[in-house]
Amino acid sequence: MFRLQGSKVLAVDMTGDAVKAKNGSMVAYDGQMTFKKLSGGGEGLRGMVTRRLTGEQMTVMEVKGHGTCWFADRASEINLVRLQGDKLYVEAGNLLATDAGLRTGTTFTGLRGASQGNGLFTTTVEGHGQAAIVSDGPAVVLRVSPQYPLIVDPGAYVAHQGDVRQTFQSGVTFRTLVGEGGGEAFQIRFEGDGLVYVQPSERNTIAGDV
Amino acid sequence: MSTYGTPGAGPVVYDPVTLPADDNVNGYTFCVELRDGQWFLQKGKMIAYYGAIEFNGIGHGRLDRLVRTSFHSPLHASDWVVAAGSGKMLLADRAFDVNSYDLDDGNLTIRAGNLLAFQPSLALKQSIVPGFLTLIGTGKFVAASNGPVVFMEPPIRVDPQALVGWADCPSPCHHYDHGYMAGVLGGLRAMTGLGGASGEEHQFEFVGAGTVLLQSTETLMDEVATGSVPPEPGVPGGGGTAPGGHGPQSSGAPRLPGQLGDLQRRFGL
Repeated sequence: MFRLQGSKVLAVDMTGDAVKAKNGSMVAYDGQMTFKKLSGGGEGLRGMVTRRLTGEQMTVMEVKGHGTCWFADRASEINLVRLQGDKLYVEAGNLLATDAGLRTGTTFTGLRGASQGNGLFTTTVEGHGQAAIVSDGPAVVLRVSPQYPLIVDPGAYVAHQGDVRQTFQSGVTFRTLVGEGGGEAFQIRFEGDGLVYVQPSERNTIAGDV
Repeated sequence: MSTYGTPGAGPVVYDPVTLPADDNVNGYTFCVELRDGQWFLQKGKMIAYYGAIEFNGIGHGRLDRLVRTSFHSPLHASDWVVAAGSGKMLLADRAFDVNSYDLDDGNLTIRAGNLLAFQPSLALKQSIVPGFLTLIGTGKFVAASNGPVVFMEPPIRVDPQALVGWADCPSPCHHYDHGYMAGVLGGLRAMTGLGGASGEEHQFEFVGAGTVLLQSTETLMDEVATGSVPPEPGVPGGGGTAPGGHGPQSSGAPRLPGQLGDLQRRFGL
């Protein structure tokens, strides 16, 4: 059972069940807990090789026991996501913890990743349960529906869930090259039906300067 | 409609209908509603938008008329873009606190790096205090601050790093504590920090009627220096090249503390 204590600490109450969490993110616990490093995020040998190949690396530990365990990551804001059979796409670095019942994997994201400078691949989480993602500043959750597509700055994108298509759009023109660009040359367009998590801060991206 | 409803105790989910118009979404994100209108914003501060919005640099030909009436700061021209179109747009800046302010036929001067966006009904001008911008007119603008903003009334002396801006008071000036300037010992102390420099010997002083805006930290927000004012005599900060940015005190050429000129003055020569 995930709950937030303040906005920067995640408390998980456990009764013999397990959660997967970012390695080293435990800040306190009471009761009995065991911590086990999961090589390759518990995705088996194939997952391990995929992660190594795609550069979407994630060191994960499995926490199991009775009691309460608290997690935090560099005082980042934590957002809880409830999954009901749908899929959450999140950067490996932004994923703090998931229910052990959720499956994690990697997927190809296309050009968006390249403009963010964090690779062409992203992490997926699917199944039924809860996940916690971190963001720089509290994330704003925006709904994408067929009549309202959403355009997001790649540097502010954190995660998305649901049945959403993303296309990468670039507004690079000759003006960008002479330094007179609109400042938003690279954008991701989300269409379909789902939710997008956006943080009030932009990572440094190669697109950030144009 | 969407099947991804708001989860019970989960976060609030926004869509174009529920997003506020020209108001804060939370303490760190501001939503601008454009109805076939235009807003000026600093480059790269848009994080997401719904609708059809176009971003163009200040130098874009079609914006000529708009720029003529509301943008008078060639120094910062390459930092600013114009968003035009219809839709709702979210603005944020490095997870700093964001607030909007209304000016009613008034004027307000603000540190260049803190100003995020403003309505074209306001005119942006470069303040003669280097590194500051002045907004004149009626309309709304959005500013970021490192920690919440505090409003104070003059007469007041403020720490240079905590100053965000001021409205309607025309006389900001430097204030040095007497001990900082007097005597050989005072000079040495201020230069070396030995023997008890408090770090608060220098302040900005405001008098007159108006409001002073302070942020609740002394960590300045980064700003980009994109040029310098013309090197004419009598123009503050215009003493030629100021490579280290145009902070409040870096007018003219950079000089080391304790250069001969300073010492002479301190020793009363």
